[in-house]
Amino acid sequence: MQGNSFSVRVKKDFRRNWSLYVLVLPVLIFYIIFHYKPMYGAIIAFKDFIPAKGIMGSEWVGMYNFERFFKSAYFVRLMRNTLLLSIYNIIFGFPAPIILALLLNEVKNKKFKSITQTITYLPHFISLVVACGMIKDFCLSTGIFNDIIALFGGERSALLQNPAYYRTIYTASSIWQEVGWGSIIYLSALSGVDSQLYEAASIDGAGKWKQLLHVTLPSIMPTIIIMLILRMGSLMSMGYEKTILLYNPSTYETSDIISSYVYRVGLQEQDWSYSTAIGLFNSVINCFLLVVTNKISKKFTETSLW
Amino acid sequence: MRKSWKKGLAVLTMAATATASLAGCGGGGSASTTAAPETTAAQTEAAAGQTTAAAQTEAAAPAGETTYPLTNGGKLTYWLQLNSNVSANFTNLGDTELGKQWQEQTGVQIEFQHPAAGQEKEQFNLIVADGNLPDIMEYGWVNSYPGGPEKAIRDGVIISLNDVFEQYCPNITKYLAEHPDIDKSIKTDDGNYFAFPFIRGEEKLRVTVGAFLRKDWLDELGLEVPTTVDEWHTVLTAFKEQKGAESPFCFDWANFKDKNLIAYAYETSYTYYVGEDGKVHYGPVEDNFKKYLETMHQWYSEGLIDKDIATLNGDQVTAKMTTDKAGASIGWAASRMQVFMTTAQKTNPDYLLVPTPYPTLEKGDTPTWGYIENAFPDVGAAITTSCKDVETAAKFLDYAYGEAGHNLMNFGIEGVSYEMKDGVPTYTDLILNNPDGWPLAHSLAKYIRANYNGPFVQDGYYIEQYLQLPTVKECPSTWTVPGADKYVLPNVTALQEESKELATLNNEISTYVDEMVLKFIFGTESLDNWDNYVNTVNNMNLARALEIQNSALDRYNAR
Repeated sequence: MQGNSFSVRVKKDFRRNWSLYVLVLPVLIFYIIFHYKPMYGAIIAFKDFIPAKGIMGSEWVGMYNFERFFKSAYFVRLMRNTLLLSIYNIIFGFPAPIILALLLNEVKNKKFKSITQTITYLPHFISLVVACGMIKDFCLSTGIFNDIIALFGGERSALLQNPAYYRTIYTASSIWQEVGWGSIIYLSALSGVDSQLYEAASIDGAGKWKQLLHVTLPSIMPTIIIMLILRMGSLMSMGYEKTILLYNPSTYETSDIISSYVYRVGLQEQDWSYSTAIGLFNSVINCFLLVVTNKISKKFTETSLW
Repeated sequence: MRKSWKKGLAVLTMAATATASLAGCGGGGSASTTAAPETTAAQTEAAAGQTTAAAQTEAAAPAGETTYPLTNGGKLTYWLQLNSNVSANFTNLGDTELGKQWQEQTGVQIEFQHPAAGQEKEQFNLIVADGNLPDIMEYGWVNSYPGGPEKAIRDGVIISLNDVFEQYCPNITKYLAEHPDIDKSIKTDDGNYFAFPFIRGEEKLRVTVGAFLRKDWLDELGLEVPTTVDEWHTVLTAFKEQKGAESPFCFDWANFKDKNLIAYAYETSYTYYVGEDGKVHYGPVEDNFKKYLETMHQWYSEGLIDKDIATLNGDQVTAKMTTDKAGASIGWAASRMQVFMTTAQKTNPDYLLVPTPYPTLEKGDTPTWGYIENAFPDVGAAITTSCKDVETAAKFLDYAYGEAGHNLMNFGIEGVSYEMKDGVPTYTDLILNNPDGWPLAHSLAKYIRANYNGPFVQDGYYIEQYLQLPTVKECPSTWTVPGADKYVLPNVTALQEESKELATLNNEISTYVDEMVLKFIFGTESLDNWDNYVNTVNNMNLARALEIQNSALDRYNAR
């Protein structure tokens, strides 16, 4: 009954808005071909995948690949490093663009504002390989950071060979590279704030700080929340690129994360099933985090993805 | 409720996409680089090839002389890593003079395919996972293909070449009959030939890496070339204190950690090695290795070793070595030592590097350990299961093992890149003084493959001319330690069912060892914890890894 009325509704709607359906078609096809069809390949996580035998032809091995990962000597360390780096990136990296956007929003000189904006988002366009090469050079015992340390009487040391500094370098360089780019979305949200609200607030005697707290922040809160939820959803999926560019064996203790380990073991050793299993594990955790954050947000702020 | 479930699924999908792209399993994906028209062409050729193959088997069963160029050559695809000396000026091997001549002389049209530099392994894996293979693939089948060549054959990636050698390849068959040691190393334990190998034809070609230092500084300071570890310490200290070198001993750890001459002085190795008892041992857990690390740590804390050794790359080493910031290094004779000298001598004509012999602990002892490569350094061109015209592929590859092909690979084109002088192939001025001002390595790579690798036998005359500067010419003889190759683990392969286990073990162990060795050297971990470290490695089941390696070695010896 319900199904019937649904299909009738769709038919009716299609006749009326057929052009919209045509518009959405390419996107649908894109998702089916590039996002849904490949999911079928994820079943090799449960198989001993041999390319020549194909996905279906390979032998089922159950949870073997997952067990191998959980029992690995590095499982705990990898989880810890991945989560900590991710959390640092959220704690320090997430508010940074918001603060920058708020600051820029207060700048009244148009020229200064646009120059600052351009300077801060330029690093985003530097290729990661080049950016990491620069970071490595700066962190050498003869690099610029050590020059500064030496200037103040400190002792020179190779910064990227000390596990204690790795997370700081990683997080700080991420902020440096992405802060300007990340602030764009907040700036656009800020431009949508009704100026009457500010006027009303200032008439009520609110200073700049109070305006910020009671007008600006609440106005862009939905944007912040959505960005945070999306960010949480990728908590576990730290890409391996930056890590393998910055780390070396002496900092494995804090630098080796799940994806760099998968890169070393899976992709280089051709252990596809194993790397797929770990990838799948990552995705499940990410999905879980996303749902939980969304639930929490829905309960407390009425803003949510769905 | 239903709506939110759907969105949840969509999110899951997006997350899972990361997995899928990692796994690279598009099924009939569109990743193949071969265009459709070429495939049809190849198939037509293949059909033609098969008929001739049948005709030939009738005519002459055993391999006779093949006449080149082949009249019914056809077209093949050939996948290989493009060496950086080639890629400096060319994007495809087929564009080089060598590539053109190779095709012309054999009468086979080749479409060369190259993976992006630095991504050879990933791209190889993706091609194999995709299943749409080029006809010929050049790769490190023993060590880079998990499970080794026998598994590659059983996985249906490459074909066994036993019948192929016998039927179509008189040149390589002859070479292997004359060199039983090589023969042994390019067979699997089950007796299958798997590739047309790169072979270092002489011992001096196998000593590619060693240490060298500033002779002009030594002379100035009145010091001799060091022959013991203590003398090395004296020399490095003098470099630091009297010549103001900020990091006297400087090399890129990532490339040369397992080729460090100081480790060899302690009669140990960073890797698996074959001991006096004929069994496989693992160096980094032995007492000798601890003594080596004690020395390295002492030198590091005294500032004799570069502070940034773990993060250095080749360019940074070059910069330090050529600007008086470092005085001793480890590296390749031509692409490091010779390059340093030619670069630095432009501004400092006195700049002189000399190779140093492997040191010992006691003065006057003869060194017994040193770095030496396998005669078959695990590069070989295999014919894949996708190849429709095996005969042409085999004859094409066999050409390089005959005299004409041998000269082409090592010396290029007679009258153009080399001339015969007193029976010795000698490079012409076109190579030695390139008109475009290219460095020697680049101008060689336009005409030959001997200065990197490929499916042929490398010739000793090549290295004699490639090493040009007088002190660089001394490298092979100075770096050769007689008898050192008995410690080198040959290219053994684990059993198929054991190979994954071994890979996992090796990975866990080397991750830990790589990390701890650096920490011991830097002093972030005290060597008092050595016993804990050894215990941890043992708990990672080193014994099992050694057991697998030993049984693999036994099977190798029994080949």
